[in-house]
This record gives sequence, structure tokens and C-alpha cells, in this order.
Amino acid sequence: MSSNETVAVLSWDESLTLRTISNHCDELLLALNEKSAVAIDISDDQPVDLTLIQLIESARIFASTSGKKLTLLKPAAGHLRDVLERGGFLQNISPEDSNFWLHDGVK
Amino acid sequence: MSFPDPIAVFRTEAAELLEQIETGLLDLNHDLANKDQVDAVFRGLHTLKGSGAMFGFEALAAFTHHCESAFDQVRKGMVPATHDLVSAVLNATDHMRALIEVPAGDHDASSENLLSALRLAVEHAGNPDAKAAAKSETKPDLTHYRLHFSLPRNAMVNGTNPLPLLDELRDLGECIVEVDKHELPALDDLNPRDLYLSWTVDLKTTQPRSAIDDVFIFVMDEMELRLEVMGDEKVAVKTAEPIPEAQSSQAKTAEVASAPLRQDHAAPAKAVSQPIEAKQTKSNENVRVPAERLDELMDRVGELVIAQSRLSQLAGSSGDLQLRAVSEDVERLSGELRDTMMVLRMVPVAQLFGRFRRLVHDLAIETGKTIELITEGETTEVDKSVVERLADPLVHLVRNSCDHGLETPEERRAVGKDPVGRIYLSARQAAGEVIITIKDDGRGINRERVRAKAEASGIIAANTVLADQDLLQLIFQPGFSTAQQVTNLSGRGVGMDVVKRTIDALRGSIDVTSHNGSGSEISLAIPLTLAIIDGLLVRIGVGRYVIPLSAVEECLELSPEEDMRSRGRSFISLRDSLVPFIRLRDLFNTNTTPDPFQKVVVISTGAERVGLVVDQIIGDHQTVIKGMSKLHHDVATFSGATILGDGGVALILDVGHLVAAGQHQEAQLRAAG
Repeated sequence: MSSNETVAVLSWDESLTLRTISNHCDELLLALNEKSAVAIDISDDQPVDLTLIQLIESARIFASTSGKKLTLLKPAAGHLRDVLERGGFLQNISPEDSNFWLHDGVK
Repeated sequence: MSFPDPIAVFRTEAAELLEQIETGLLDLNHDLANKDQVDAVFRGLHTLKGSGAMFGFEALAAFTHHCESAFDQVRKGMVPATHDLVSAVLNATDHMRALIEVPAGDHDASSENLLSALRLAVEHAGNPDAKAAAKSETKPDLTHYRLHFSLPRNAMVNGTNPLPLLDELRDLGECIVEVDKHELPALDDLNPRDLYLSWTVDLKTTQPRSAIDDVFIFVMDEMELRLEVMGDEKVAVKTAEPIPEAQSSQAKTAEVASAPLRQDHAAPAKAVSQPIEAKQTKSNENVRVPAERLDELMDRVGELVIAQSRLSQLAGSSGDLQLRAVSEDVERLSGELRDTMMVLRMVPVAQLFGRFRRLVHDLAIETGKTIELITEGETTEVDKSVVERLADPLVHLVRNSCDHGLETPEERRAVGKDPVGRIYLSARQAAGEVIITIKDDGRGINRERVRAKAEASGIIAANTVLADQDLLQLIFQPGFSTAQQVTNLSGRGVGMDVVKRTIDALRGSIDVTSHNGSGSEISLAIPLTLAIIDGLLVRIGVGRYVIPLSAVEECLELSPEEDMRSRGRSFISLRDSLVPFIRLRDLFNTNTTPDPFQKVVVISTGAERVGLVVDQIIGDHQTVIKGMSKLHHDVATFSGATILGDGGVALILDVGHLVAAGQHQEAQLRAAG
């Protein structure tokens, strides 16, 4: 985890699947408890499954109720985007979700 | 004390479990109505899935889950067991091995292919006329379905990935998938391995309703599915609640399956089948020992035998009667210990034969032949290292019998034979050897073709007179193949010579018999153990060497006159036949004066003979074989080393290599005229 005063950047450059998800969950929770803003960096070619999407969606709920800010460092692409599409997350997507996952509306 | 790596333990046990599953499948293939075997396979798959997930092999757990579900359907009588289904799961077991060996590998494509085949097999088993029925079902109009489905919390841990299910629904027609996240908790309450999502799917399809059910065929019992037909107020609701009976039986198997792998290494087998359970009860009296520890123990026993030998020498040259008495006691005890050790290393050949059932099953599919494998003498015990080294030669021989030996069903019918070809694999012990026989009831070896091929390849000169056994042994020559077409199975001329080399290296022999039209039989005679051999101790220069006694035919004296006459020729005349010989003094560069009366030890492998010229024959020697160091692996002349009673080292001559070298030398001299 790299961080400046208030923003922590979590660079996840290993498999983001059921097998490793518990570690990432702990890391994310720690970061959200310690920092006011957390950005997650996921590379396009990282293997991803539904557990990651669940984790991030769950973290978004946690962040919104505890006044923290959670963002993706870059719009979802590659495997992440593929899982979002296959899992039906992009169907009838709300502006907030679209902003979060795809950075739509971000100027 | 070090504890074994749990992942390594899992791999070992998973390999055993897969073997048991495979055996169950092959048995089931012969008797599709055998419910015990269906249960055995189901429990095996269930245990593998559970333990795989427990040890972090998620891909294995996910993949195995589908096979387990298929067998669950069979177990519950929802679909019958079929040959296609058994084949699909058999193929899947190979993939499971890959998932265990290389869990991080790229297995997605092959996983999908195998699962598609499995789905198809289940569909056809459930309704053999499914395709025809689907076609005849007139569905000219699109039907609009709305599905709501959710999977149990532990679905992903148990290997069910919702994404492929959604993909399959998309394959059925125009599909809008929307996720429902309302049950998802905040991060501090999240169990990240649980599944909190559910889905709503709008599907417009011409496919029958049964096609949707098929998508969920593997998870139907555990999931909740609501299905509405839109545009029609009639709502079809199908809630697939877990069947209480099934639930309780699953809970029961889970109990057996999940706990044991960690604590009781023998437990996975327990969960597999009734017969295996019975076997398991017996094996509870056994202790699992890693093979390396047995090897270590064997080394220690070898050292003890050597030390005892030194003690005997000292006692023999001493007048101390008490020392002699103690020495005799130690000799007796070390002999008994050595015999016990030998028994510990023995394993039944059933371990070896088991894998051929699968091989023959696959070969039957590849060749389009109907083949039955009949095994006999599976309880025959052989040294474990012999079993390991026999596997490859036997694979070659069985493949050869299936490919060349057995005819197609049509050919067999045409000559009045049963269309089912049979391969017999048997083992028995005889006089310190194990005899393994591979026999088929096929067409037999075509001697004319063997001779023609051998002459064409220059292996023998045209019109060479050969005894029948010698002619048949030509099939073991390097580069020899009578297969007219190179196939995946055989016909490349490699394989049979590998068999010969391996059997020679094991100090064994091969006997071939064949009858035109009624089949062939190849017998391999192998020493029961490779750890201790009877050897002939000889001296060459100042060094001592051991020649395996089983290869020694006779010993002769090489008089100085005969030695002079043979200079430059390296042949001796032995009862009217010329036998090439190798002067080991020259080969080993001893740089010592030869003894006045050199000895020739004639050794052979099968029909090939060669004489080894040595300075002195010391006598027989019980030889505890020690492996050569890695530095000496390239030294082909020696197969190992042993420690002598006086603490000195003697190298053990590699008979196969020396005979080949002698024959090569003979061929060169003949070519030179």
C-alpha cells in the first residue's frame, strides 16, 4: 500500500479470485479504516472473478456509511470489465455505479 | 521431527483418490446398473472436491463439482449411468490431475470442453431422444422468460461459478442479465468467499423450457429458481428447494469427506465405496511410510551387511571362539533383517496393473476396437523399484498388442472370432523372478513381414538362418517396426527397443511366442529385487568388480597362446561358435601387468553373448547395490557400486551395455572383413 497523507493506493497485481480474496478483503478494510480515501489499482490482465466485484461493492457500502472515499485508479477494463459485463453489473447501471466502475462522467 | 507439507500430502492422497475413482468408473463401465459403484464414484468425487477446496485448489474443486453433480443425478436415479457419461468423467479425471499438479496453469479452455462433453452426456443419458424431441417440439415463436435465481452462500467455495451459468443462458437466445446486490453487506460484515448476489434474467428464446433447466442441471438441488413466462399472465414457478433426503445424505457424506484429509491420511479412501471401505478397515492396521524412508532403511541394512561381512572376516582369522560365536549371531540376525527388509520393499503388482485398465479403455476408443483386459496374479509382489521401472515397458507392450495384435471387430468376425479382442496381463513368481506376461488373442506376429523388414533395414543379412525365437526377438531391435502406418499408438519403431533396453537394465529377459491367427505372448522375467544381487567378484588389474551372476553363462581360462592368437581379433571359439570378447584391462586402462592365466567370463542377455577378460575370478558375492553418484551417471559401463567386506569398493558391471558394446565390436570387425 502506498499512500500520501490521506489517500491510500492499493496496487493489486496478483490473482484477484476466490483463492486470494480474503487477503485483499483484510487489506482493503484496513486501508479504509486508516485513510479517508482509498484508490484501487487493478491491471487489465489480472485474473478476476465475482468475489472481487462483491468485495469492491461491499467496500463501497462501507465507505459511504463511514464517510470515506473509494475509487478505482482507472476505469474497469480487461478481465475486470469482462466479469462486470458477464455478471450483469453493467445492465441498467446507475450513474453512480457507472461513474465508479467506468469513470463515466469524470471530466 | 519434520512434518510433511500438507499440500504434498493432499497431492498424494488426491492421486490415490483419483485412482480409486478411475477404478470405480471402469468397473461401472462394465456394469452400468451397479449402484455401489455409482455411490463409490460419487463419494470419491465429493471427497476430492471438498478436500481440494480445503487445501486451496479452487479450480479443482469447481471442476470436480460438476462431475460430482452429474453423478449425484445418477445416484438419485434422475439419469441412468451410460458409457458416454463414464467416458466423460474418465476424461475429466485426467484434467483433475492437471489441476492438482499445476493449479495455476491455464486450464480454462480444456475445462470448458470437458464440461460441455459432460453436459451433453448427462443430457443424452437423461433423455436419449432429447435432441430429436427438441427438434420435433414446435416452438416457432419466441418465448419470453424471466428468471430469478440465487445460489447458496457457499456456492463458490463449493466450486459453482455463476458466470458460466449466465453465459449458457446467453447462448439460448436474446438475454438481458441484471445483478441484484441487495443482500450484500458492508465490508466489515462481509465474508469475501461467500456469494451474496442473485440475478434476474430476461430471456427470449425458441428453445424449450427444458433447455433452461439443463443450464442449472448441476446446481438444481441447492439453488432457488423462479421462472415466469412473460406476455402470458400464467406464471410458472419452479422453486428448487433442497430435497431433505438429499440434503441429509450430502451432510452425511460431507462429514466423512471434509474432515479426514487433514487428520487421517487414509480417510479419503474410506469415503469412496463399500468394497473400498472394507479394504480401508484393514489398512487402518497399516502405517504409511514414504518410499525414501524405506530406501534409507535399505541403505542402513546394506551397511550392516557389509559391517557383518568384515566382522566375519576378522572373526574367521581370529582364534577367539567367543568372537566367532558373536560373529555368527550377528551374521544370522543381519541375514534375517535383510530378508525382512526385502519383504518390506515388496508391493503387489496390482498397483501396476491398475493403470492398464484405463489405458486399454482409452486405446479401445482410439482404435475403434472392442478390447477386454483380463488380469491375473495381481497380488504377486515385486520390489517397489522394479514395479516403477516396469511401467513404461508394459505400456509399450500393451499399446502394441492393442494396435498391432488385435484385429478390428469386423476382421475378427470375418475369421470366426469373438469380436471382442482380449488382452491378458498376468504375474507370477518363479524361482526368484517375477514373470509378467502380456498375451493377446489377435492375429499373431507375421514372421514373413518381420524377416522382410529386418532384411530391408539391414538388421539381418538376406536369407540368414534364424531360430524362431531369434526371429521373433528382432522386433526388439532399434528402428524395427512392421506397422505400415505410423499411428499415435505405434509404428514409429521406437518402443519395443525401449522395452528391451529397460528389461536388460533390470537384468531380466524377454520371451516371445506367437501363433498365426491366434495371438502372441510376451513374457518378461525380472529379478524380484534390484537392491541385493548375487554377483561374481572378479579382479582386473588391482581393481575389483562385480558381474551380476544371473548374466554369467560360464567361465573359461584364456591361455597365453590363445590370448596371443586372438590379438587383433577379440574372438574366442566356443563350441564351434565365435564369441566376441572385451579385454576389460584395456577398457579400464589398468596399466598393470596381466596375470599369466587370464579368465574369460561369458555373459549374455538373451541370445547375445560376449566374453569379459579378467585377471582373476575371486568368487561369488552377495552384493548390496549402491547407486552411482550424480557425477558418474554418464558412465555407462557400470550400473552401480558395492562395498566389500574389507571396506573396499567394487563397481558393478552393466551387463546390457557390455554385451551391446561387444556385439557392436563384432559387427565392426565383420564389416571390416
